[in-house]
Amino acid sequence: MYGKSLLVGAALLPGLAVAGHAKEDWPEPVKEYYTGQVLFDRLELTRTNEEENLAVWDMMAWYGGDYHRAVFKSEGENVQDDGEPTDLESAELLYGYLVSPFWSFQAGIGTRGTLSSDASMENYAVVSFMGLAPYWFEMDNSLMVNEEGDVQFVSETEYEWQLTQTSYLQPRIEFTANLTASDKYERQSGLSNLRVGLRYRHEISREFAPYIGVYWNGALGNTADEMKRMGEDTTETGVVLGARVWF
Amino acid sequence: MSNEFNKGRRKFIKSAFTVASALAIAKVAPTWAAPQGRSFKDQILTNDEIDLTIAKSPLLVGNKVGAPITINGQMPGPLIRLKEGQRAKLNVTNRLSEDTSIHWHGIILPENMDGVPGVSFEGIKPGRTFKYRYDVEQNGTYWYHSHSGLQEQLGHLGPLVIEPKDGDIGADREHTIILSDWTFEDPDTVFRNLKVAEGYYNYQKRTIFETFEDVRQQGLEKTWKQREMWGQMRMSPRDIADVTGSTYTYLMNGRDSQMNWSALFKPGEKVRLRIINGSAMSFFDVRIPGLEMTVVAADGQPVKPVPVDEFRIGVAETYDVIVQPKQNKPYTIYAESFDRSGYVRGTLTPELGLEAEVPELRQVPERGMAAMGMGAMAMSGDMKGNSMNMKHMGGNNSHMTHKMTHKKELPVENIKIKHRESGHGAGAAMIATNPVSRLHEPGIGLEDVDHKVLVYTDLVGAHEWPDTREPERQIELHLTGNMERYMWSFDGNKFTEVDGPVQFHHGERLRLVMVNDTMMDHPIHLHGMWMELENGQYPRPRKHTISLKPSEKVSLLITADAPGSWAFHCHLLYHMKAGMFRVVNVA
Repeated sequence: MYGKSLLVGAALLPGLAVAGHAKEDWPEPVKEYYTGQVLFDRLELTRTNEEENLAVWDMMAWYGGDYHRAVFKSEGENVQDDGEPTDLESAELLYGYLVSPFWSFQAGIGTRGTLSSDASMENYAVVSFMGLAPYWFEMDNSLMVNEEGDVQFVSETEYEWQLTQTSYLQPRIEFTANLTASDKYERQSGLSNLRVGLRYRHEISREFAPYIGVYWNGALGNTADEMKRMGEDTTETGVVLGARVWF
Repeated sequence: MSNEFNKGRRKFIKSAFTVASALAIAKVAPTWAAPQGRSFKDQILTNDEIDLTIAKSPLLVGNKVGAPITINGQMPGPLIRLKEGQRAKLNVTNRLSEDTSIHWHGIILPENMDGVPGVSFEGIKPGRTFKYRYDVEQNGTYWYHSHSGLQEQLGHLGPLVIEPKDGDIGADREHTIILSDWTFEDPDTVFRNLKVAEGYYNYQKRTIFETFEDVRQQGLEKTWKQREMWGQMRMSPRDIADVTGSTYTYLMNGRDSQMNWSALFKPGEKVRLRIINGSAMSFFDVRIPGLEMTVVAADGQPVKPVPVDEFRIGVAETYDVIVQPKQNKPYTIYAESFDRSGYVRGTLTPELGLEAEVPELRQVPERGMAAMGMGAMAMSGDMKGNSMNMKHMGGNNSHMTHKMTHKKELPVENIKIKHRESGHGAGAAMIATNPVSRLHEPGIGLEDVDHKVLVYTDLVGAHEWPDTREPERQIELHLTGNMERYMWSFDGNKFTEVDGPVQFHHGERLRLVMVNDTMMDHPIHLHGMWMELENGQYPRPRKHTISLKPSEKVSLLITADAPGSWAFHCHLLYHMKAGMFRVVNVA
């Protein structure tokens, strides 16, 4: 009897040791996963109807988990051979939170202007709703307020028609609306700009997909009126050659 | 059985062996999968300790050299044969530069021998040896694999066969077949691709030209109706496998289709095939054209014989089938990935070097209305009688309408499913509004085949299980996910988001109700305890892994007789990694 209980005790001990070893220094069986991505949705050369050549970028980079992400977005262009500095349309640093399965809310700060030493940049606060709308419309809607209190809304929507397993036809529409007019930045109130584009993209790999496309860009409302007054063209068309790249 | 016959077979095996040796010299993995298989009553040594060394070594996979994780130099690892009633003594030495582990899939054993780092032990550090010791109290076809990180994708897996006490395998010969999916990509890259680029590996999406064709055939309105739901849900009916043949080389005992793993038989012999799906991510549809297969065990546990022509094997499941090829000719063992993006074949042959016709891959299937939890609606609503429409829904509904009128009512059908009022949060892109039992369905792509396909309702346990109590308690878990960010979870919460384990009371009999609130199939695995599937049969079949179809609800009975902490998870490797994992605590 005694011997037997001793045996049982001995047999239990390793088990107890394990249970008592309270797992603190054990690894987690599943860990939170963090990763990031740099995505140039548009990285292109543009030829306008004015026979200007432009280099254009539209990119996003992010790092984080499933819910919380640090996001950097930037858009801009450089007119080739005009001796002028690059036009930074936006550079934004945001915190993003996944609020629903397909949408994230982002908030942060941004800056824009001409990339030269003497230019003063326009700084602003920005909130965005970015995600996938029903029927697979990829959207990014941003509301910006600058230091002067000027409010602007920019909405971008993309759609993809799958032509083959590696090629796509992608319409894109972007509009800008000034909720308030801005004297300092010469912005008229109201819907100010509309840009529509169509790209044909072919994937060499998922990560690298060259495309060709066309776009139409037009000023609207008060903005168009003002441009006409100044004797400027209110519309522009162009062809683009570029690549969608991510890593 | 006559002496004459035995003598003949021995001679046959001997001659086969020389060829097998030649193959072994050619250094094609693994050596255990010798073509002659194993004959009834061959001696096996059971009391020795078995040493397993885990290392990373270059090996020929298909026609290219890969760097798999090998076990004793092989990928898949060696066939471990144990005998019911023995004490297993397995010494696992880690020669990797990172922690590793071995989990004995489907084996009932003490908590600290289960091999899940962070749940049952701390893992095996580099250079260390872990001595697994447990009493083997069951028999059948099982397997083992790493439970550390994504090592399983690198081939850290192998078959485990436990001989019954009396040694009777119910056949003259047996072959063990382990199916796996190999990629030359780094598994961490695969996971990141899934995380950052939805549909990365899917090259079977619906194109606009197919939409045009549908419009031409059935009109704009009907086409729109079919597309509408998917569009609203932002999901694809062609989203069947997350990782596909675009990166995978499918393997049968470590060999690809070209290497053609071969298994020998003598015409008239009864051959037991122990088939294990050791894949990371791939469901397979298995058939042997020209041969009827009789399913005799599921997940290692005996079932009443079911003759079938084909069966779907979920990740981590095992099936034992008996075939009796009468003709003196080769037969193709064909395992087709269920999204039809690839296959692997081997050959069952009377003589080495032969091969039979290899079937074509079948057409890419599409998920139908049933996947959205709308199967019942499809029967009552305006879809009824609209044959054109149904056909294009994957043919799923017409089949179901027919079947549903005949099938038995299962306990799960009277269980009211509760969803959280808010859905399951951002981690769950859908909820199955009307989940139904789909155990009688063969699964996507197999609805309309013109031969007999195994369904879960065919499985009847060979005998009663010890605990015949009614369940005292019910636990409901929802399978949830969000494809866009590749989040997978239970009840909308990833493992990293849950407070504590799922609590089982020691000794209780409980009913586990699971609802699949996703558009994917998930093989759900409980460690340490059996799950009796309430499929309307008695005795119920016992499973260690149960595959749920989209918008399906199932119920299982569990006897909580294994004290301690146990892993409970989706056995799709990247789903587990993404958070579809819980700890079950029995106390």
